[in-house]
Amino acid sequence: MSHHKLEVKDLHYSYPDDHKAVKGMSFCIYHGESVGIIGANGAGKSTLLMLLMGVIFPSQGEVCVGDVHVTKKTLPMIRKSLGMVFQDPDDQLFMNTVYDDVAFGPRNYKLDEKEVEKRVLNALELVGILHLKDRAPFKLSGGEKRAAAIASVLSMHPDILVMDEPTAALDPKSRRKVMKLLTSFNHTKIITSHDLDMIFEMCDRTIVIKNGEIAADGVTSEILVNAELMDACGLEIPLSLQNCPVCRTKKV
Amino acid sequence: MANIMNSLYNMRILDDLARQETVIHKLHSLMKLLTTVSYLTVVVSFGRYEIGGLLPFLIYPVMVFTLAELPVKPILLRILIVSPFIIGIGILNPFFDQQGYLLGERVISRGWITFGSILLKSGLTVTAALLLIATTGMDRLAGALRMMKIPRIFVLQLLLTYRYISVLMEEVARILRAYSLRAPNQKGVHRSAWGSLAGQLILRTFDRAQRIYEAMCLRGFAGEYNTGGFKEIRAWDLSYFIGWALFFAVARMYNIPMLIGSLITGVIK
Amino acid sequence: MHMADALISPIVGGTMWVATAGVAAYSIKKIQTEMDEKKVPLMGVMGAFIFASQMINFSIPGTGSSGHIGGGLILAILLGPYAGFLTMASVLTIQALFFADGGLLALGSNVFNMGFFTCFIAYPLIYKTFMKQGYSTRRILIASLFTAIIGLQLGAFGVVLETLFSGKTELPFGTFLLLMQPIHLAIGAVEGLVTAAVVAYIWNSRPEIIEKAASGEALGNVAIKKVVGGLVIVAMITGAGLSWFASSDPDGLEWAMINTAGTAELEAPEGLHQTLLHLQSKIAFLPDYSFKASGNEPEPGVGEGGDAWPAISGGTSAAGLVGGGMTLLLAAFMGFGISMLKKRKSKVSI
Repeated sequence: MSHHKLEVKDLHYSYPDDHKAVKGMSFCIYHGESVGIIGANGAGKSTLLMLLMGVIFPSQGEVCVGDVHVTKKTLPMIRKSLGMVFQDPDDQLFMNTVYDDVAFGPRNYKLDEKEVEKRVLNALELVGILHLKDRAPFKLSGGEKRAAAIASVLSMHPDILVMDEPTAALDPKSRRKVMKLLTSFNHTKIITSHDLDMIFEMCDRTIVIKNGEIAADGVTSEILVNAELMDACGLEIPLSLQNCPVCRTKKV
Repeated sequence: MANIMNSLYNMRILDDLARQETVIHKLHSLMKLLTTVSYLTVVVSFGRYEIGGLLPFLIYPVMVFTLAELPVKPILLRILIVSPFIIGIGILNPFFDQQGYLLGERVISRGWITFGSILLKSGLTVTAALLLIATTGMDRLAGALRMMKIPRIFVLQLLLTYRYISVLMEEVARILRAYSLRAPNQKGVHRSAWGSLAGQLILRTFDRAQRIYEAMCLRGFAGEYNTGGFKEIRAWDLSYFIGWALFFAVARMYNIPMLIGSLITGVIK
Repeated sequence: MHMADALISPIVGGTMWVATAGVAAYSIKKIQTEMDEKKVPLMGVMGAFIFASQMINFSIPGTGSSGHIGGGLILAILLGPYAGFLTMASVLTIQALFFADGGLLALGSNVFNMGFFTCFIAYPLIYKTFMKQGYSTRRILIASLFTAIIGLQLGAFGVVLETLFSGKTELPFGTFLLLMQPIHLAIGAVEGLVTAAVVAYIWNSRPEIIEKAASGEALGNVAIKKVVGGLVIVAMITGAGLSWFASSDPDGLEWAMINTAGTAELEAPEGLHQTLLHLQSKIAFLPDYSFKASGNEPEPGVGEGGDAWPAISGGTSAAGLVGGGMTLLLAAFMGFGISMLKKRKSKVSI
C-alpha cells in the first residue's frame, strides 16, 4: 500500500510579505499511522496543512502523496486520496442541506447519481447522522456540524484524513463522540490541535513544530511528557498528565 | 437589530415549513414556480379599479395554505409588515382621485377603490411569493432554476448567499453586542468606527470566502457546479400547473363574482 | 426603494426582466471568461454580508438619527461591476422570496434600479474616473459620495418611471419625482459616506483587495460601453413599442396590457397621459351609467352571462357586492372543507 505514504522533503514556504512560515521540514507518514501535529499559535501548522493539500505550493522542496508529487497537474488525483476536515465546519458546509454537502465532492468527480447516493448515505451512516440528511447546516449542533463535515470528506473515499482542530469548540460529550468516531476509522490520520489530551489519546506519533521548523518527531507518549520540550515550544504537557489539582500528587 | 434578527427568524420558519412532506411540497418545484409566475402575472394584469374580479384569486392561496398545511399567522404577519412602500404610495390615491364611485348604494371616492385594489394585489402577490418558498425551499427552487437553464454560476452564488446569511448575521450580532457593551447610550455606530467596524467584517468575509473556496477545491470543485440529476416531472405535476393556469385564465376573462351575483340577485327577483 | 409586484404592470415588469436578464447573462459570460472561479464563493459570501450589514446602524453626525447601507456601491468597488451586479441580483432575489421585499415580477426592475445604475453607470463613469489619478482617502471620499448619490438618483428615477408606466397609482409624475429624489439624495449621501469609510479602511489595511478588483476591469471599460450601448438600443426599441401602444389608443399602456392579457377590461381604464381635466369629464357619465345597471336591470346578463357585465362600470352594483361576498365565502369554505377532510382522514388512519 505504498500509495498511502505521505512524504515531505525539505519543505520551504514564504508568504508574499517575506514572512518565512515553513523552513525546511521533512517527514514521512506511513499507511495507517495516526500523527498529531502540534505547535504554538503561528508556528506554521496551518501553512503546513495547506502545503500538504496543495492549496499553496512550496517555494522549495516537495510534497509527495504515494509516489506522486503534488503539483497543479496532479491535484485532482491528490485530492481524491487526501481529505481535509476544516477547523470551522461553517467553512466546509456551504450547501443548504447536509445531503447536498456530502454529495458535493462525489458529484464533482462526475459519478452517476446512484453511486453518489450510495456514497452519501454510507458516509452519513458512518458518522451516525443519517437522520439529519435533509437538515440545513444552521439547524445542526456543533457536534452534528463536525460530523457532517467529516462525512462530506468521507464520501470522497480518501486514504488519508487531514484534520485541523477536530475537537475545537465542542462540548465535552461531543468531543468524546468525535474522538470515538475518528478512532474507529482505519484511515491514515493527520491531526493538528491544541487539544493535547486528544492527541495523547489518539495519535501514536507526534510532530512538534516551532517557528516553521520541526522541533521533535517521535512517539507521542515520549514527546508529550517532556515538559522541557513542551515549554520550549510554547506548549504544556497534557492536562491529564499534570499534577492533580486537588491533591497535588505528581502523575509523571 | 432586533428587527433583522426577526427577519432571520422568519427566514428559518420558511425554511422549516419547506421541509414538510405534503401534497404541495411533493410537487415538482419547476411546476410550482411556473404556477406562481402565471398567478402573479394575471393578478397584476388587472386594472386599477378592479377589486371584484380579483376575489376569485383568493382561492389559490387558500387552497395552497390548506393543502400544504401551512400556518396562516406567520405568513400573513409578513404581509402586514412588508408593505410600507405600497401603503405610502397607495394612500395618496384617495387624495389625487376624488371622483365619486358607486359602491352598492353609497358613493365613495374612487381613489379608495384604487387604493383597495393595490392593497389586495399586494396581499395576493406577496402571499404567492411566500407560499412558493414555504412549499419549495431554496435548494429545490435552485433545482428549478437549473432546469430553466439559469447559469450554474448564478445558482451556486445564490445558494451560497442564502447559506451564509445566518452565519454572517450572527457574526454581525456579536460585533454589535461587543460594540454596544463598550459604548452605551449610542444610537448607532459612531462615525469614527464606521470604516473599521464594517471594514474588518468585510476583511473577515474575504478570508472566509477564501477558506470556502479552498474547501470546495479540495472536494474537486473546478468552476463547475454539479447539481446531480433533475427530478422527473410527472403527469400529476404538469396537470397541477395546467389546472391552475386554466383557472387563472378563466377568472381573468370572466368576472366570476359578478356572474355569481347576477345569478343570485336574478333568482331572488 | 423596492418596487412591489402590486405597483407594476406585466409589460413594464417583463421589459425590465428582459433588460436585467441581458445584463446578467453578459456579466456571467464576463466572469467566466475573464476572471477566475475564485470569485464565485466570494460573491456568495459578500451577498450574505450585504444582508448582515443592514443590521449595522451607522449614526449620522449632527442629525441624531442613523441609517444603513444598501451595498450596491461597495459590491461594485470590491468585486468589480460584473460580479457586483450579479451579487446584488442574488441579494434582491432572496429578499423577494423570503422577505417579500419587492416581488418576483418586480425583481427585474429592482435589480436594474439598484444594481445596473450603480455598477454600470455611476461606478465606471464617476468612481473609476476619480480613481484614475490614484487612491487617497480624500479621493475615495469624494468619489464614493458622488457615485452613491448619482447611482441612487438614477435608481430612484427608474422607480418613478416604472411606476408611472405601470399606471397603478394616481400620483402625478411631478409629485412622485419630488417625493422620491430628495429622499434618495439623503440616502445616497449616507451610502456614500459609509462606503467611503469602509473602502478607505480596506485600502489602508489590505490594499491588494481593492487593486485586484480594479485591475480586473482593465478591459472592462470598453465592455461597459458596449453594455450601455446595447441597453440604450433595447430601451429605445421598447420605448418606441410602448409609445406606439400608448398613441394608438387613448388608454395607452393599459390598452396594451389588456391586449396581452387577451381580455377586455371591465371598466373604462384610465390612460396614463390623461389629464385631470379629462378625468373630470368622465365623472359626468359614470355614476348614472352604473345606476342603470345596478339598480334596475340586472337580469339581462343572467342568461348569457357575458353580455351584460361589461356595461356595469365605474361602480360596483348590488350583484357585484353579493357575488364578491359569495366568492369570499366559497374560498373560505374550500379552505375549511379541505382541512376538515384532512383531519378526518388522519383520524381514520390512526
